[in-house]
Amino acid sequence: MSSSDEHWIRSYGRDQFPHVLVVLGFALYPILLGVLNRTPLASEASAFLPGLTFMIIVLYMGLFAISFDFISGYTGYLSFGHAAFYGTGAYFVVLAANGQVPGVPEGTPFMITMLLGATLAFVVALAIGAVSFRLTGVYFAMLTLGFAQVMYEFIRHWGYVSSNPTEGATIPSGADMSIGVPFVDSLNFAVGRLSGDSFENVLGVGIDVSATMTSYYALGIVVLLSYFVMQRIIHSPFGKVMIAIRENEERARAVGYNVFWYKMGAFATSAFFAAIAGALFAAYAGGASPDNSFYFLVTADALIMAIIGGIGTLAGPLFGALFHEWFEDILSTESDGLSTYLEQLLPESVLTAEVAGLTINDFIGTFLDGRAPLYLGIIFVLFVLFVPNGLLGSIRDRLGGTVSKRLPATLERYRR
Amino acid sequence: MSVLELEDVHTYYGESHVLQGVSLDVEEQEIVALIGRNGVGKTTTLRSILQLTPPQEGTIRYRGEEIVGKDTHEVSNDGIGWVPEERRMFGYLTVEENIRVAVKPDDDFEAQREYVYSLFPALDEFSEKEARNLSGGQQQMLAIARGMVGQNELLLVDEPSEGLAPMIVDQVVDALETASEDTTMILVEQNFPLAMELADRFYLIDHGTVVESGSTEGVTADDERIRRYLSA
Repeated sequence: MSSSDEHWIRSYGRDQFPHVLVVLGFALYPILLGVLNRTPLASEASAFLPGLTFMIIVLYMGLFAISFDFISGYTGYLSFGHAAFYGTGAYFVVLAANGQVPGVPEGTPFMITMLLGATLAFVVALAIGAVSFRLTGVYFAMLTLGFAQVMYEFIRHWGYVSSNPTEGATIPSGADMSIGVPFVDSLNFAVGRLSGDSFENVLGVGIDVSATMTSYYALGIVVLLSYFVMQRIIHSPFGKVMIAIRENEERARAVGYNVFWYKMGAFATSAFFAAIAGALFAAYAGGASPDNSFYFLVTADALIMAIIGGIGTLAGPLFGALFHEWFEDILSTESDGLSTYLEQLLPESVLTAEVAGLTINDFIGTFLDGRAPLYLGIIFVLFVLFVPNGLLGSIRDRLGGTVSKRLPATLERYRR
Repeated sequence: MSVLELEDVHTYYGESHVLQGVSLDVEEQEIVALIGRNGVGKTTTLRSILQLTPPQEGTIRYRGEEIVGKDTHEVSNDGIGWVPEERRMFGYLTVEENIRVAVKPDDDFEAQREYVYSLFPALDEFSEKEARNLSGGQQQMLAIARGMVGQNELLLVDEPSEGLAPMIVDQVVDALETASEDTTMILVEQNFPLAMELADRFYLIDHGTVVESGSTEGVTADDERIRRYLSA
């Protein structure tokens, strides 16, 4: 691989080159966006590039989709009830912030409640897995879905959560939702859609860091760490057994593995990280409701992201999430999407021109504004039919191995 | 003491009664061939031994110990290896990872790897390649290698020559002969001359029971008792 006299940081950096590139891309993106906003291309940038609020969704939904891929893509067991773990993480931190979790005093740092919530999800997954892993294939998927729906219905009518449990619960405005090192104030950054920390004139170089930006970077670090842990597990002997189970479970048993416990371990681990994603979401959004956490369509989003990004690639679902959210952003008017851009660009006479009884303006409103789910559905179908391995999976097949391993060698070949 | 003894084994797939009282035994260091037409229960016999399709009646003793009712991974850890039909690699793992997965946790991986690569130098060459990208012959070698690394004392080999070009079959035969120096083997093989060449003894199976058995010495396909069962 690499010569032994090379410094380990250099050889590690080269082996991880694609990872470094992606992390740099995410880290520099808000700065790029800020620079573009001061150029004449500002309106194009806000129309065609995902805004920072959408990039934050990319982070926590990306992590959720990665955790879904960890179990579904690597052991071949589709966890259709994965939203149950996302919801567990989200509700745990919300209830803890309200002092409603027995044994967890009000004011416990978010980092700790997040890990406690993830541990709870780990245990819940062991319970669900103990029953569900008795079956395989579509029956396993249906059982996990069933368990998740039971939890969804329960949480929807659980009066303990709030006075109106169908609407969910919110984090009280005074609660400190900070990401960082617990109990060290200077190493904590409050996150939240409106309530996060903001910094002006950072390091005296004239850069202002908005609350959104703080949340973006803080969430990004947790997502990166979580990804790194899952990636290390996949590359460990445990991960190889997970892949062996996916490829041929009978054969894995005949090689001498008690596959039941490997599946349980993988399932619980993926639930742990799904709960981390849910906790990040709740902290950022300032609350959680049954429909945006425990509901089965939340799992469906992760499934779409995983299929588009590449199932069984671990990092792929993050790119699937990026694609998904980028699409949502440009087709909505929430932060100046495509329709706003067209309305500003096209002259009034064109907008009011009638084609077959519809004005162009009506046409934009009907077919573009907020219609992302429609097109995403179509794109999902096209991906399943024509790009079944997804974005990253297809690149992987072209390179003949995992992208992080093979890309540097392939690029090296072109440089000569 | 026999390495393996099957006594009146009955195995079902759902309602279908596939093994209808198979009895056979395998002695130390020999290669025993199971022959017979398609669908008579040869593969099911191997699956019954591995407890992948557990028998409903009868006993299977491995080194004197009853293994019916054990879990497949326990049978495997007792020292019974499997080279399944159609090879069935872990396609997305590299050659080396395929071997690593097959090495038991308390075994010395490095030593096992060296052992396998010394038997099959071709595998060393492709150690970083994902198994799904190997040719049929290379996959079969990897399958045999994987069956051998678990320090298995009994190897169940299912249709090793199926779908391979004649030249590749020769390599596989060499590989099996090398492997048989260290392990006892049960070989399921459609290719009758090949089975007779490799094996010391044979069991002819028809309709889920053993109908003929004996030494392979001098047995040809023209033999009346063989022809009756093998000709379509």
